[in-house]
Amino acid sequence: MSSFGFGLISAAVLAIATVGFTMQFAVTNVLNLAYGSIMINSAFVTYYVNEHGVNAWVALVGGVLTGAIASWLLNRFVYTPFQKRNLAPITVVIVSLGIDLIGTFGLQAIVGGGYVSFTQNQGREYHFAGLLLSSLQLIVMGICVAVLVGVHGLLKYTRLGKAMRATSANKNLARNSGIKTQFIISTTWLISGALCGLAGTVFAMNAGVFEATSAQLYIVLLLAAMFLGGPGEPYGAMFGALTIGLATEVSAAYINPDYKDVIAFIALIVMLMFRPFGIFGSEKTN
Amino acid sequence: MSVELSKKGLVLTATGLAAGYDGRAIVSGITIEATPGKVFSIVGPNGSGKSTLLKSLVGVVKVLEGSVKVGDTSITNMPPEEVAKIGVGYVPQIDDVFPPLSVKENLEIGGYLLKRSEIHERIDAVLEFFPRLKVMMTRKAGKLSGGERKMLAMGRVLMLSPSVLVLDEPTANLAPMVATQLLEEYIRGFANFGSTVLLVEQRAKAALRISDHTYVLGGGRVVLEGAPSDLENNPIFVESFLGGGAAARPKE
Ligand SMILES: Nc1ncnc2c1ncn2[C@@H]1O[C@H](COP(=O)(O)OP(=O)(O)OP(=O)(O)O)[C@@H](O)[C@H]1O
Ligand SMILES: [Mg+2]
Repeated sequence: MSSFGFGLISAAVLAIATVGFTMQFAVTNVLNLAYGSIMINSAFVTYYVNEHGVNAWVALVGGVLTGAIASWLLNRFVYTPFQKRNLAPITVVIVSLGIDLIGTFGLQAIVGGGYVSFTQNQGREYHFAGLLLSSLQLIVMGICVAVLVGVHGLLKYTRLGKAMRATSANKNLARNSGIKTQFIISTTWLISGALCGLAGTVFAMNAGVFEATSAQLYIVLLLAAMFLGGPGEPYGAMFGALTIGLATEVSAAYINPDYKDVIAFIALIVMLMFRPFGIFGSEKTN
Repeated sequence: MSVELSKKGLVLTATGLAAGYDGRAIVSGITIEATPGKVFSIVGPNGSGKSTLLKSLVGVVKVLEGSVKVGDTSITNMPPEEVAKIGVGYVPQIDDVFPPLSVKENLEIGGYLLKRSEIHERIDAVLEFFPRLKVMMTRKAGKLSGGERKMLAMGRVLMLSPSVLVLDEPTANLAPMVATQLLEEYIRGFANFGSTVLLVEQRAKAALRISDHTYVLGGGRVVLEGAPSDLENNPIFVESFLGGGAAARPKE
Protein backbone atom coordinates (compact mmCIF):
# COMPACT_ATOMS: atom_id res chain seq x y z
CA MET A 1 0.00 0.00 0.00
CA SER A 2 2.80 2.46 0.76
CA SER A 3 4.28 1.86 -2.67
CA PHE A 4 0.93 2.91 -4.07
CA GLY A 5 1.17 6.11 -2.06
CA PHE A 6 4.70 6.73 -3.29
CA GLY A 7 3.53 5.93 -6.80
CA LEU A 8 0.78 8.49 -6.51
CA ILE A 9 3.22 11.26 -5.54
CA SER A 10 5.74 10.24 -8.19
CA ALA A 11 2.90 10.25 -10.67
CA ALA A 12 1.89 13.73 -9.55
CA VAL A 13 5.43 15.02 -10.04
CA LEU A 14 5.69 13.26 -13.37
CA ALA A 15 2.33 14.68 -14.45
CA ILE A 16 3.50 18.25 -13.82
CA ALA A 17 6.68 17.57 -15.77
CA THR A 18 4.99 15.72 -18.63
CA VAL A 19 2.30 18.33 -19.17
CA GLY A 20 5.04 20.92 -19.73
CA PHE A 21 7.11 18.56 -21.83
CA THR A 22 4.29 17.51 -24.15
CA MET A 23 3.06 21.11 -24.54
CA GLN A 24 6.57 22.15 -25.50
CA PHE A 25 6.91 19.34 -28.02
CA ALA A 26 3.49 19.84 -29.58
CA VAL A 27 3.62 23.59 -30.05
CA THR A 28 7.30 24.23 -30.73
CA ASN A 29 8.04 20.98 -32.55
CA VAL A 30 11.24 20.52 -30.54
CA LEU A 31 11.77 17.27 -28.66
CA ASN A 32 13.76 18.93 -25.91
CA LEU A 33 15.82 16.17 -24.31
CA ALA A 34 17.46 18.81 -22.10
CA TYR A 35 14.21 19.07 -20.10
CA GLY A 36 15.60 16.93 -17.24
CA SER A 37 18.71 19.05 -16.86
CA ILE A 38 16.63 22.23 -16.71
CA MET A 39 14.50 20.56 -14.04
CA ILE A 40 17.49 19.82 -11.85
CA ASN A 41 19.11 23.20 -12.45
CA SER A 42 15.85 24.84 -11.38
CA ALA A 43 15.76 22.64 -8.29
CA PHE A 44 19.23 23.83 -7.36
CA VAL A 45 18.22 27.46 -7.73
CA THR A 46 15.33 26.82 -5.37
CA TYR A 47 17.77 25.06 -3.07
CA TYR A 48 20.17 28.02 -2.95
CA VAL A 49 17.38 30.52 -2.35
CA ASN A 50 16.11 28.21 0.40
CA GLU A 51 19.66 28.07 1.84
CA HIS A 52 19.52 31.81 2.26
CA GLY A 53 16.74 31.44 4.73
CA VAL A 54 13.78 31.74 2.39
CA ASN A 55 10.95 29.29 2.94
CA ALA A 56 11.22 26.46 0.41
CA TRP A 57 7.72 27.08 -0.96
CA VAL A 58 8.58 30.72 -1.59
CA ALA A 59 12.01 29.79 -2.96
CA LEU A 60 10.17 27.63 -5.45
CA VAL A 61 9.35 30.80 -7.37
CA GLY A 62 13.07 31.07 -8.12
CA GLY A 63 13.05 27.56 -9.55
CA VAL A 64 10.00 28.30 -11.69
CA LEU A 65 11.57 31.46 -13.08
CA THR A 66 14.82 29.61 -13.76
CA GLY A 67 12.99 26.96 -15.76
CA ALA A 68 11.06 29.57 -17.73
CA ILE A 69 14.04 31.78 -18.52
CA ALA A 70 16.48 28.95 -19.25
CA SER A 71 13.99 27.31 -21.64
CA TRP A 72 13.27 30.58 -23.38
CA LEU A 73 16.98 31.33 -23.80
CA LEU A 74 17.66 27.81 -24.99
CA ASN A 75 15.05 28.17 -27.70
CA ARG A 76 16.05 31.68 -28.65
CA PHE A 77 19.79 31.12 -28.92
CA VAL A 78 20.14 27.41 -29.70
CA TYR A 79 17.06 25.65 -31.08
CA THR A 80 15.63 28.44 -33.25
CA PRO A 81 18.95 29.11 -35.04
CA PHE A 82 19.29 25.39 -35.73
CA GLN A 83 15.68 25.09 -36.91
CA LYS A 84 16.15 28.02 -39.26
CA ARG A 85 18.87 26.16 -41.09
CA ASN A 86 16.37 23.62 -42.39
CA LEU A 87 18.36 20.63 -41.18
CA ALA A 88 16.79 17.24 -40.54
CA PRO A 89 14.62 17.38 -37.36
CA ILE A 90 16.90 14.82 -35.69
CA THR A 91 19.64 17.44 -35.63
CA VAL A 92 17.82 19.52 -33.04
CA VAL A 93 17.13 16.40 -30.96
CA ILE A 94 20.84 15.58 -30.90
CA VAL A 95 21.68 19.18 -30.04
CA SER A 96 19.21 18.96 -27.13
CA LEU A 97 20.92 15.79 -25.92
CA GLY A 98 24.20 17.67 -25.91
CA ILE A 99 22.59 20.54 -23.99
CA ASP A 100 21.28 18.03 -21.46
CA LEU A 101 24.78 16.72 -20.77
CA ILE A 102 26.24 20.22 -20.61
CA GLY A 103 23.43 21.33 -18.30
CA THR A 104 23.80 18.37 -15.97
CA PHE A 105 27.56 18.12 -15.76
CA GLY A 106 28.02 21.87 -15.90
CA LEU A 107 25.81 22.03 -12.82
CA GLN A 108 27.81 19.25 -11.20
CA ALA A 109 31.03 21.17 -11.86
CA ILE A 110 29.55 24.16 -10.05
CA VAL A 111 27.78 22.55 -7.10
CA GLY A 112 30.00 19.51 -6.67
CA GLY A 113 29.03 15.88 -6.53
CA GLY A 114 27.42 15.67 -3.09
CA TYR A 115 23.78 15.25 -2.11
CA VAL A 116 21.85 18.19 -0.75
CA SER A 117 18.39 18.66 0.72
CA PHE A 118 16.00 21.50 1.44
CA THR A 119 15.83 22.93 4.91
CA GLN A 120 12.33 21.75 5.55
CA ASN A 121 10.92 18.49 6.73
CA GLN A 122 8.17 16.45 5.23
CA GLY A 123 5.68 18.08 7.62
CA ARG A 124 3.20 16.19 9.76
CA GLU A 125 1.54 13.10 8.44
CA TYR A 126 -2.07 12.57 7.53
CA HIS A 127 -4.10 9.44 7.05
CA PHE A 128 -5.93 9.87 3.85
CA ALA A 129 -8.06 7.25 2.09
CA GLY A 130 -6.04 4.49 3.72
CA LEU A 131 -2.73 6.12 2.76
CA LEU A 132 -0.19 7.75 5.01
CA LEU A 133 0.79 11.05 3.39
CA SER A 134 3.06 13.82 4.61
CA SER A 135 1.97 17.41 4.24
CA LEU A 136 4.71 17.82 1.63
CA GLN A 137 3.15 15.05 -0.39
CA LEU A 138 -0.30 16.56 -0.04
CA ILE A 139 0.99 19.92 -1.22
CA VAL A 140 2.67 18.27 -4.25
CA MET A 141 -0.61 16.61 -5.13
CA GLY A 142 -2.38 19.94 -4.72
CA ILE A 143 0.11 21.63 -7.02
CA CYS A 144 -0.38 18.86 -9.54
CA VAL A 145 -4.14 19.29 -9.56
CA ALA A 146 -3.77 23.06 -9.84
CA VAL A 147 -1.38 22.67 -12.79
CA LEU A 148 -3.66 20.26 -14.59
CA VAL A 149 -6.72 22.45 -14.09
CA GLY A 150 -4.72 25.55 -15.04
CA VAL A 151 -3.32 24.06 -18.23
CA HIS A 152 -6.72 22.69 -19.16
CA GLY A 153 -8.25 26.13 -18.69
CA LEU A 154 -5.46 27.80 -20.61
CA LEU A 155 -5.75 25.52 -23.63
CA LYS A 156 -9.50 25.31 -23.69
CA TYR A 157 -10.73 28.75 -22.78
CA THR A 158 -8.13 31.39 -23.52
CA ARG A 159 -7.19 33.10 -26.76
CA LEU A 160 -3.53 32.28 -26.14
CA GLY A 161 -4.28 28.62 -25.45
CA LYS A 162 -6.37 28.22 -28.58
CA ALA A 163 -3.65 29.89 -30.61
CA MET A 164 -1.17 27.45 -29.10
CA ARG A 165 -3.31 24.49 -30.14
CA ALA A 166 -3.83 25.95 -33.61
CA THR A 167 -0.08 26.49 -34.00
CA SER A 168 0.51 22.93 -32.89
CA ALA A 169 -2.06 21.50 -35.31
CA ASN A 170 -1.10 23.48 -38.40
CA LYS A 171 1.44 26.25 -38.13
CA ASN A 172 1.05 27.61 -41.66
CA LEU A 173 -2.71 27.80 -41.40
CA ALA A 174 -2.34 29.51 -38.03
CA ARG A 175 -0.22 32.18 -39.69
CA ASN A 176 -2.77 32.51 -42.49
CA SER A 177 -5.33 33.18 -39.77
CA GLY A 178 -3.31 36.11 -38.47
CA ILE A 179 -1.56 34.38 -35.56
CA LYS A 180 2.02 35.47 -34.93
CA THR A 181 3.21 31.93 -34.40
CA GLN A 182 6.74 32.99 -33.51
CA PHE A 183 5.36 34.88 -30.53
CA ILE A 184 3.10 31.97 -29.57
CA ILE A 185 6.08 29.62 -29.69
CA SER A 186 8.26 31.89 -27.50
CA THR A 187 5.43 32.17 -25.01
CA THR A 188 5.07 28.40 -25.00
CA TRP A 189 8.75 28.07 -24.09
CA LEU A 190 8.16 30.39 -21.14
CA ILE A 191 5.09 28.55 -19.90
CA SER A 192 6.39 25.02 -20.45
CA GLY A 193 9.74 26.11 -19.02
CA ALA A 194 7.98 27.38 -15.90
CA LEU A 195 6.29 23.98 -15.53
CA CYS A 196 9.69 22.35 -16.03
CA GLY A 197 11.18 24.46 -13.23
CA LEU A 198 8.20 23.73 -10.99
CA ALA A 199 8.45 20.01 -11.73
CA GLY A 200 12.19 20.01 -11.03
CA THR A 201 11.70 21.62 -7.65
CA VAL A 202 8.89 19.35 -6.47
CA PHE A 203 10.82 16.38 -7.86
CA ALA A 204 13.76 17.32 -5.63
CA MET A 205 11.52 18.02 -2.62
CA ASN A 206 9.82 14.70 -3.04
CA ALA A 207 13.15 12.91 -3.37
CA GLY A 208 14.32 14.47 -0.09
CA VAL A 209 17.99 14.38 -1.03
CA PHE A 210 19.26 15.08 -4.53
CA GLU A 211 22.36 15.84 -6.54
CA ALA A 212 23.22 17.33 -9.92
CA THR A 213 22.68 14.06 -11.78
CA SER A 214 19.45 13.06 -10.00
CA ALA A 215 17.20 13.81 -12.97
CA GLN A 216 19.50 12.36 -15.57
CA LEU A 217 17.27 9.42 -16.43
CA TYR A 218 14.03 11.30 -15.85
CA ILE A 219 13.71 11.91 -19.58
CA VAL A 220 12.90 8.20 -19.99
CA LEU A 221 9.88 8.56 -17.71
CA LEU A 222 8.85 11.74 -19.52
CA LEU A 223 9.05 10.12 -22.94
CA ALA A 224 7.19 7.05 -21.74
CA ALA A 225 4.42 9.12 -20.14
CA MET A 226 4.16 11.39 -23.15
CA PHE A 227 3.98 8.63 -25.72
CA LEU A 228 1.57 6.65 -23.59
CA GLY A 229 -0.86 9.54 -23.59
CA GLY A 230 -0.13 10.62 -27.13
CA PRO A 231 2.40 13.34 -27.95
CA GLY A 232 0.91 16.78 -27.67
CA GLU A 233 -2.14 15.61 -25.74
CA PRO A 234 -2.18 17.33 -22.35
CA TYR A 235 -4.95 15.10 -21.02
CA GLY A 236 -3.07 12.10 -22.35
CA ALA A 237 0.00 13.34 -20.51
CA MET A 238 -1.92 13.25 -17.22
CA PHE A 239 -3.05 9.72 -17.91
CA GLY A 240 0.40 8.64 -19.10
CA ALA A 241 2.08 10.13 -16.04
CA LEU A 242 -0.34 8.46 -13.68
CA THR A 243 0.17 5.09 -15.34
CA ILE A 244 3.94 5.31 -15.58
CA GLY A 245 4.29 6.83 -12.10
CA LEU A 246 2.22 4.11 -10.47
CA ALA A 247 3.65 1.28 -12.58
CA THR A 248 7.26 2.18 -11.86
CA GLU A 249 6.79 2.67 -8.11
CA VAL A 250 4.62 -0.36 -7.57
CA SER A 251 6.86 -2.59 -9.66
CA ALA A 252 9.89 -1.18 -7.86
CA ALA A 253 8.35 -2.34 -4.60
CA TYR A 254 7.86 -5.87 -5.87
CA ILE A 255 10.86 -6.36 -8.15
CA ASN A 256 13.84 -4.12 -7.57
CA PRO A 257 13.97 -0.33 -7.37
CA ASP A 258 16.88 -0.33 -9.81
CA TYR A 259 14.52 -1.51 -12.54
CA LYS A 260 12.25 1.53 -12.29
CA ASP A 261 13.55 3.22 -15.41
CA VAL A 262 13.73 -0.10 -17.22
CA ILE A 263 10.01 -0.62 -16.63
CA ALA A 264 9.29 2.84 -18.02
CA PHE A 265 11.52 2.15 -20.98
CA ILE A 266 9.76 -1.12 -21.75
CA ALA A 267 6.42 0.68 -21.59
CA LEU A 268 7.79 3.27 -24.01
CA ILE A 269 8.98 0.66 -26.50
CA VAL A 270 5.72 -1.27 -26.36
CA MET A 271 3.85 1.98 -26.92
CA LEU A 272 5.96 2.97 -29.90
CA MET A 273 5.42 -0.47 -31.40
CA PHE A 274 1.66 -0.61 -31.12
CA ARG A 275 0.30 2.90 -30.77
CA PRO A 276 2.97 5.48 -31.60
CA PHE A 277 0.35 8.20 -31.40
CA GLY A 278 -0.61 7.23 -27.85
CA ILE A 279 -3.82 6.06 -26.28
CA PHE A 280 -5.52 9.42 -26.53
CA GLY A 281 -3.76 10.65 -29.63
CA SER A 282 -5.07 10.10 -33.11
CA GLU A 283 -3.11 9.51 -36.26
CA LYS A 284 -2.45 12.85 -37.87
CA THR A 285 -4.71 13.49 -40.79
CA ASN A 286 -3.03 15.25 -43.70
CA MET B 1 -27.75 38.59 -44.61
CA SER B 2 -27.81 40.43 -41.29
CA VAL B 3 -24.09 41.11 -41.15
CA GLU B 4 -22.20 41.67 -44.32
CA LEU B 5 -20.12 38.64 -45.21
CA SER B 6 -17.09 40.34 -46.61
CA LYS B 7 -15.71 43.82 -46.99
CA LYS B 8 -15.89 45.59 -50.28
CA GLY B 9 -13.42 43.86 -52.57
CA LEU B 10 -9.97 45.17 -53.37
CA VAL B 11 -8.01 44.64 -56.55
CA LEU B 12 -5.33 41.97 -56.29
CA THR B 13 -2.49 42.29 -58.77
CA ALA B 14 0.70 40.38 -59.42
CA THR B 15 3.20 41.88 -61.82
CA GLY B 16 6.13 40.06 -63.40
CA LEU B 17 6.00 37.57 -60.56
CA ALA B 18 8.52 34.75 -60.13
CA ALA B 19 8.33 32.46 -57.09
CA GLY B 20 9.47 29.06 -55.92
CA TYR B 21 11.28 27.01 -53.31
CA ASP B 22 14.91 27.32 -52.17
CA GLY B 23 15.53 30.21 -54.54
CA ARG B 24 14.49 28.18 -57.57
CA ALA B 25 11.57 29.62 -59.53
CA ILE B 26 8.61 27.31 -60.18
CA VAL B 27 6.43 30.04 -61.67
CA SER B 28 7.75 33.07 -63.52
CA GLY B 29 6.69 36.02 -65.61
CA ILE B 30 3.24 35.94 -64.04
CA THR B 31 1.08 39.04 -64.43
CA ILE B 32 -2.48 38.58 -63.26
CA GLU B 33 -5.23 40.71 -61.83
CA ALA B 34 -8.39 39.98 -59.89
CA THR B 35 -11.04 42.65 -59.40
CA PRO B 36 -14.01 43.03 -57.00
CA GLY B 37 -17.32 41.38 -57.67
CA LYS B 38 -15.86 38.83 -60.03
CA VAL B 39 -14.47 35.31 -60.04
CA PHE B 40 -11.02 34.87 -61.53
CA SER B 41 -9.88 31.33 -62.02
CA ILE B 42 -6.60 29.58 -62.71
CA VAL B 43 -6.59 26.26 -64.51
CA GLY B 44 -3.70 24.09 -65.56
CA PRO B 45 -2.37 20.57 -65.40
CA ASN B 46 -0.97 18.95 -62.25
CA GLY B 47 2.38 20.40 -61.30
CA SER B 48 2.00 23.50 -63.46
CA GLY B 49 2.53 25.69 -60.40
CA LYS B 50 -1.01 26.77 -59.52
CA SER B 51 -0.60 26.21 -55.80
CA THR B 52 2.87 27.72 -55.80
CA LEU B 53 1.49 30.84 -57.43
CA LEU B 54 -1.30 31.24 -54.86
CA LYS B 55 1.11 30.62 -51.99
CA SER B 56 3.43 33.31 -53.27
CA LEU B 57 0.54 35.78 -53.35
CA VAL B 58 -0.29 35.20 -49.67
CA GLY B 59 3.26 35.12 -48.28
CA VAL B 60 3.68 31.38 -47.83
CA VAL B 61 6.18 30.95 -50.68
CA LYS B 62 8.94 33.42 -51.37
CA VAL B 63 8.53 35.90 -54.23
CA LEU B 64 11.82 36.00 -56.17
CA GLU B 65 10.92 38.67 -58.69
CA GLY B 66 8.10 41.09 -59.36
CA SER B 67 5.45 42.37 -56.99
CA VAL B 68 2.07 41.65 -55.45
CA LYS B 69 -0.41 44.33 -54.48
CA VAL B 70 -3.79 44.48 -52.76
CA GLY B 71 -5.45 47.78 -53.49
CA ASP B 72 -2.63 50.27 -53.03
CA THR B 73 -0.71 48.16 -50.52
CA SER B 74 2.30 46.13 -51.58
CA ILE B 75 2.16 42.67 -50.01
CA THR B 76 5.22 41.28 -51.76
CA ASN B 77 6.84 38.81 -49.34
CA MET B 78 4.73 40.10 -46.48
CA PRO B 79 4.45 37.50 -43.67
CA PRO B 80 1.19 35.50 -43.98
CA GLU B 81 -0.15 36.75 -40.65
CA GLU B 82 -0.02 40.30 -41.97
CA VAL B 83 -1.49 39.39 -45.32
CA ALA B 84 -4.46 38.03 -43.36
CA LYS B 85 -4.74 41.33 -41.49
CA ILE B 86 -4.87 43.29 -44.73
CA GLY B 87 -7.92 41.34 -45.80
CA VAL B 88 -6.77 38.47 -47.96
CA GLY B 89 -8.36 35.16 -46.98
CA TYR B 90 -6.50 32.09 -48.21
CA VAL B 91 -7.81 28.52 -48.21
CA PRO B 92 -4.99 26.09 -49.03
CA GLN B 93 -5.43 22.99 -51.17
CA ILE B 94 -4.57 20.64 -48.31
CA ASP B 95 -4.29 21.14 -44.53
CA ASP B 96 -7.11 23.65 -44.71
CA VAL B 97 -8.49 23.24 -41.17
CA PHE B 98 -7.17 22.53 -37.66
CA PRO B 99 -8.21 18.87 -37.27
CA PRO B 100 -7.97 18.53 -33.46
CA LEU B 101 -9.91 21.74 -32.87
CA SER B 102 -13.69 21.80 -32.85
CA VAL B 103 -15.63 23.51 -35.61
CA LYS B 104 -16.37 26.38 -33.26
CA GLU B 105 -12.72 26.71 -32.30
CA ASN B 106 -11.68 26.67 -35.95
CA LEU B 107 -14.00 29.60 -36.55
CA GLU B 108 -12.69 31.37 -33.46
CA ILE B 109 -9.15 30.99 -34.74
CA GLY B 110 -10.36 32.39 -38.04
CA GLY B 111 -11.48 35.44 -36.05
CA TYR B 112 -8.26 35.60 -34.04
CA LEU B 113 -7.63 39.19 -35.03
CA LEU B 114 -11.12 40.32 -34.02
CA LYS B 115 -12.26 41.66 -30.68
CA ARG B 116 -13.85 39.13 -28.40
CA SER B 117 -17.28 40.70 -28.77
CA GLU B 118 -17.08 40.66 -32.56
CA ILE B 119 -16.20 36.99 -32.78
CA HIS B 120 -19.66 35.71 -31.83
CA GLU B 121 -21.36 38.07 -34.20
CA ARG B 122 -19.12 36.92 -37.05
CA ILE B 123 -19.64 33.25 -36.23
CA ASP B 124 -23.38 33.85 -36.54
CA ALA B 125 -22.88 35.51 -39.92
CA VAL B 126 -20.72 32.66 -41.18
CA LEU B 127 -23.24 30.09 -39.94
CA GLU B 128 -25.98 31.91 -41.76
CA PHE B 129 -23.95 31.40 -44.91
CA PHE B 130 -23.06 27.77 -44.14
CA PRO B 131 -26.05 26.59 -42.10
CA ARG B 132 -24.89 22.98 -42.23
CA LEU B 133 -22.09 23.81 -39.82
CA LYS B 134 -24.59 24.86 -37.16
CA VAL B 135 -25.31 21.35 -35.95
CA MET B 136 -21.65 20.32 -35.72
CA MET B 137 -20.09 23.15 -33.75
CA THR B 138 -18.58 20.87 -31.12
CA ARG B 139 -17.35 18.21 -33.55
CA LYS B 140 -13.64 18.05 -34.28
CA ALA B 141 -12.73 19.42 -37.70
CA GLY B 142 -10.77 16.24 -38.41
CA LYS B 143 -14.04 14.26 -38.26
CA LEU B 144 -15.98 16.24 -40.86
CA SER B 145 -16.88 14.99 -44.32
CA GLY B 146 -15.03 16.47 -47.28
CA GLY B 147 -17.78 18.94 -48.11
CA GLU B 148 -18.33 20.01 -44.51
CA ARG B 149 -14.61 20.43 -44.11
CA LYS B 150 -14.36 22.76 -47.11
CA MET B 151 -17.26 24.81 -45.80
CA LEU B 152 -15.43 25.12 -42.49
CA ALA B 153 -12.19 26.03 -44.27
CA MET B 154 -14.01 28.82 -46.09
CA GLY B 155 -15.96 29.79 -43.00
CA ARG B 156 -12.64 30.21 -41.20
CA VAL B 157 -11.39 32.81 -43.68
CA LEU B 158 -14.76 34.55 -43.84
CA MET B 159 -14.43 35.30 -40.13
CA LEU B 160 -12.21 38.27 -40.97
CA SER B 161 -14.59 39.62 -43.64
CA PRO B 162 -11.86 39.42 -46.27
CA SER B 163 -11.73 41.73 -49.26
CA VAL B 164 -10.01 39.11 -51.36
CA LEU B 165 -10.57 35.35 -51.29
CA VAL B 166 -7.83 33.11 -52.59
CA LEU B 167 -9.04 29.52 -52.91
CA ASP B 168 -6.89 26.56 -53.96
CA GLU B 169 -8.95 23.75 -55.51
CA PRO B 170 -11.82 23.93 -53.04
CA THR B 171 -13.71 21.22 -54.90
CA ALA B 172 -10.95 18.60 -54.97
CA ASN B 173 -12.18 15.22 -53.66
CA LEU B 174 -15.77 16.39 -53.41
CA ALA B 175 -18.71 14.55 -54.90
CA PRO B 176 -19.81 16.26 -58.16
CA MET B 177 -23.06 17.56 -56.67
CA VAL B 178 -21.32 19.05 -53.64
CA ALA B 179 -18.61 20.52 -55.85
CA THR B 180 -21.17 22.18 -58.08
CA GLN B 181 -23.05 23.63 -55.13
CA LEU B 182 -19.84 24.93 -53.61
CA LEU B 183 -18.80 26.64 -56.83
CA GLU B 184 -22.08 27.95 -58.11
CA GLU B 185 -23.80 28.82 -54.88
CA TYR B 186 -21.08 29.74 -52.43
CA ILE B 187 -18.03 30.81 -54.39
CA ARG B 188 -20.03 32.66 -57.01
CA GLY B 189 -21.94 34.05 -54.03
CA PHE B 190 -18.81 35.61 -52.56
CA ALA B 191 -18.23 37.52 -55.79
CA ASN B 192 -21.86 38.57 -55.96
CA PHE B 193 -21.42 40.08 -52.48
CA GLY B 194 -18.67 42.23 -53.94
CA SER B 195 -15.59 40.25 -52.90
CA THR B 196 -12.65 39.60 -55.14
CA VAL B 197 -12.31 35.87 -55.78
CA LEU B 198 -9.23 34.13 -57.16
CA LEU B 199 -9.79 30.42 -57.54
CA VAL B 200 -7.71 27.47 -58.68
CA GLU B 201 -9.91 24.82 -60.23
CA GLN B 202 -8.70 21.66 -61.98
CA ARG B 203 -11.90 20.98 -63.85
CA ALA B 204 -11.85 23.54 -66.62
CA LYS B 205 -15.50 23.21 -67.55
CA ALA B 206 -16.70 23.92 -64.02
CA ALA B 207 -14.23 26.77 -63.72
CA LEU B 208 -15.41 28.49 -66.88
CA ARG B 209 -19.03 28.21 -65.80
CA ILE B 210 -18.55 30.45 -62.76
CA SER B 211 -15.63 32.62 -63.88
CA ASP B 212 -15.48 36.07 -65.35
CA HIS B 213 -11.89 35.59 -66.43
CA THR B 214 -9.61 32.56 -66.54
CA TYR B 215 -5.83 32.19 -66.59
CA VAL B 216 -4.31 29.03 -68.01
CA LEU B 217 -1.06 27.98 -66.40
CA GLY B 218 1.42 25.70 -68.13
CA GLY B 219 4.96 24.99 -66.99
CA GLY B 220 4.88 27.83 -64.50
CA ARG B 221 3.72 30.51 -66.95
CA VAL B 222 0.42 31.98 -68.01
CA VAL B 223 0.06 30.48 -71.46
CA LEU B 224 -3.46 31.66 -72.19
CA GLU B 225 -6.10 33.87 -70.65
CA GLY B 226 -9.49 35.25 -71.40
CA ALA B 227 -13.18 35.36 -70.68
CA PRO B 228 -14.96 31.98 -70.70
CA SER B 229 -16.45 32.68 -74.12
CA ASP B 230 -12.99 33.41 -75.56
CA LEU B 231 -11.52 30.24 -74.17
CA GLU B 232 -14.44 28.09 -75.26
CA ASN B 233 -13.75 29.23 -78.79
CA ASN B 234 -10.01 28.75 -78.58
CA PRO B 235 -9.06 25.49 -80.32
CA ILE B 236 -5.91 24.97 -78.21
CA PHE B 237 -7.84 25.41 -74.98
CA VAL B 238 -10.66 23.20 -76.15
CA GLU B 239 -8.28 20.45 -77.15
CA SER B 240 -6.22 20.66 -73.98
CA PHE B 241 -8.93 21.14 -71.40
CA LEU B 242 -12.38 20.52 -72.76
CA GLY B 243 -11.70 17.79 -75.31
CA GLY B 244 -11.72 14.94 -72.79
CA GLY B 245 -9.70 11.78 -73.19
CA ALA B 246 -5.91 11.81 -73.16
CA ALA B 247 -5.66 15.33 -74.46
CA ALA B 248 -7.39 16.75 -71.40
CA ARG B 249 -4.20 16.50 -69.36
CA PRO B 250 -1.46 17.78 -71.64
CA LYS B 251 1.40 17.36 -69.18
CA GLU B 252 0.68 13.81 -68.12
N1 LIG C 1 7.58 22.55 -50.95
C1 LIG C 1 8.08 22.33 -52.19
N2 LIG C 1 9.42 22.26 -52.38
C2 LIG C 1 9.93 22.05 -53.61
N3 LIG C 1 9.19 21.89 -54.72
C3 LIG C 1 7.85 21.95 -54.60
C4 LIG C 1 7.23 22.16 -53.34
N4 LIG C 1 5.89 22.18 -53.51
C5 LIG C 1 5.69 21.97 -54.83
N5 LIG C 1 6.86 21.84 -55.50
C6 LIG C 1 7.03 21.62 -56.93
O1 LIG C 1 6.54 22.72 -57.64
C7 LIG C 1 5.88 22.32 -58.82
C8 LIG C 1 4.51 22.92 -58.88
O2 LIG C 1 3.75 22.42 -57.80
P1 LIG C 1 2.32 23.00 -57.43
O3 LIG C 1 1.86 22.34 -56.21
O4 LIG C 1 2.39 24.48 -57.43
O5 LIG C 1 1.48 22.52 -58.68
P2 LIG C 1 -0.10 22.55 -58.91
O6 LIG C 1 -0.33 23.17 -60.24
O7 LIG C 1 -0.78 23.17 -57.76
O8 LIG C 1 -0.43 21.00 -58.97
P3 LIG C 1 -1.76 20.23 -58.52
O9 LIG C 1 -2.76 20.41 -59.60
O10 LIG C 1 -1.32 18.81 -58.43
O11 LIG C 1 -2.20 20.78 -57.21
C9 LIG C 1 5.88 20.80 -58.81
O12 LIG C 1 6.89 20.34 -59.67
C10 LIG C 1 6.20 20.44 -57.39
O13 LIG C 1 6.92 19.25 -57.32
MG1 LIG D 1 -2.12 22.55 -56.37
